[in-house]
Amino acid sequence: MHLGFLVDLHLCMGCKGCEIACKVENEVPLSTWRLRVKYVDVGVFPETKRTFTPLRCNHCANAPCERICPVSALHYIENGIVNIDKERCIGCAGCVMACPYGAIYIDPETQTADKCTYCAHRIASSLMPACVVACPVEANIFGDLDDPASNISKYIMQHQGDVQVRKPEKGTDPHHFYVGGGNIHLNPLASKRNEGYSLFNKLTHLPVGGHH
Amino acid sequence: MHTSAIEATNAVVTLDVALPGVVWGWIITMNMWAKSIGTGVIFMLFYLLKKYPNEAGYLRFPLTVISIVAIHVFLFFTVIDLHQMFRFWHIFVYGHFTSAIAVGSFLATGFVGLIFFLAYASYIKKDNALFDKVLTWTMLLGIPVTLYTAGLMAQATARELWQMPTEVVQMILAATLAGSATVLLVGGKLPYEAKRDMAVVLGFSAFMAFLIYMSEYIFGPMKAEEVAATLEFIKGHGEYTTMFWIGQVFAFIVPMVLVTLSVQNKSTGLLNLAAVSALAGLWVAKHVWLVIPQLLSMS
Repeated sequence: MHLGFLVDLHLCMGCKGCEIACKVENEVPLSTWRLRVKYVDVGVFPETKRTFTPLRCNHCANAPCERICPVSALHYIENGIVNIDKERCIGCAGCVMACPYGAIYIDPETQTADKCTYCAHRIASSLMPACVVACPVEANIFGDLDDPASNISKYIMQHQGDVQVRKPEKGTDPHHFYVGGGNIHLNPLASKRNEGYSLFNKLTHLPVGGHH
Repeated sequence: MHTSAIEATNAVVTLDVALPGVVWGWIITMNMWAKSIGTGVIFMLFYLLKKYPNEAGYLRFPLTVISIVAIHVFLFFTVIDLHQMFRFWHIFVYGHFTSAIAVGSFLATGFVGLIFFLAYASYIKKDNALFDKVLTWTMLLGIPVTLYTAGLMAQATARELWQMPTEVVQMILAATLAGSATVLLVGGKLPYEAKRDMAVVLGFSAFMAFLIYMSEYIFGPMKAEEVAATLEFIKGHGEYTTMFWIGQVFAFIVPMVLVTLSVQNKSTGLLNLAAVSALAGLWVAKHVWLVIPQLLSMS
């Protein structure tokens, strides 16, 4: 079994329901994100449009984060998920440097690395990831890539020629696909970042169980 | 290339999370800089004892002490950079050997053991033959200890600027540059010929390192979009342009010039100046190269 994700960007409307569901399900601290939806505006008024791209860990088959982790805190589980053991992590941030998708962050409360785990704890209970459940338009398609009868396998077959991964040149073999994506969606260098795009900057975190 | 694409589409990120900023900062720069001195002096001591066994003999203990201090500075900064520094021992219990960090930790531990043994052989046992025998193994182990950080940077798939084998060469040149500079500063009683040899090592290391940095600066952007975007931070009005050139001038250009002048004039004063400039500049050059790839958005 190799679990994978596919996001149909034709369907995504940028409601951020997946983001919030992920935050709640995984108790992701303020200013950090396991999953977020990036907005990019394209064109010049009045010929403009807004694109939405949900971004999360790609659970690569050849994961640089797993390779660089000195203590196997990042490790594969049998279903292909790259999971993290926060009790083992030493916080060296090697994985943050290695991930070409910017999907790993240092949790400000536990001071360890963290990222999307495809809700591995829910999958172990035969539940879908929280973001899949929350999506109102079923833009998130999740399932077993090894099973030709799974929704994700059928979706990939039906949309051949329009299925892409981020940064294929890195050789990471991501298990996260996009349908309907273009350079603007998938290439971070294809858009400008001006001041003010981020709502949540410079937040101060209280130490766990204490005060300043 | 990416600039023209942006101009064509006028694509602007209007909502996203903040960039994580510099995760590996000056603490990691200290780590690399101190390690260059710690292993570099061992390389230089090995050379000097082979070529000038009598005149350089008195440097056995002082250079060993410098290596011990520098390597412990390196280890200290390595540990304090960990977000969970008290879990450092996990590497030795749960070591994952595809990681350059795990491999490097074991190599550095072995190196520390050997340099302490060198101190024992020179200060307590006063056995030069034993010292020289162990020094050979210490020098050999010092090579992978110097290079493993380059492996780590190469494993950082996200940071296109840090390439193999370029980083390997830069690491070994940093060690020979820092090692020769340190020997020039502490080896006052060395004969002029030995100092001239150290000066040649310093000048050659500076020249080669500068050549590689300039090659990447000029030709890197022609190969990869990410490298081009990264190097924008040290070009024109880039955030790190001034710091980059301060590093290049002090680490490489000034030492090259001063070494050339000193060899012509047989001036050891100029060599001391070159050594100080090289050591200070190396920190700056390393720091800029460490930081700029982290300023780029990955997603």
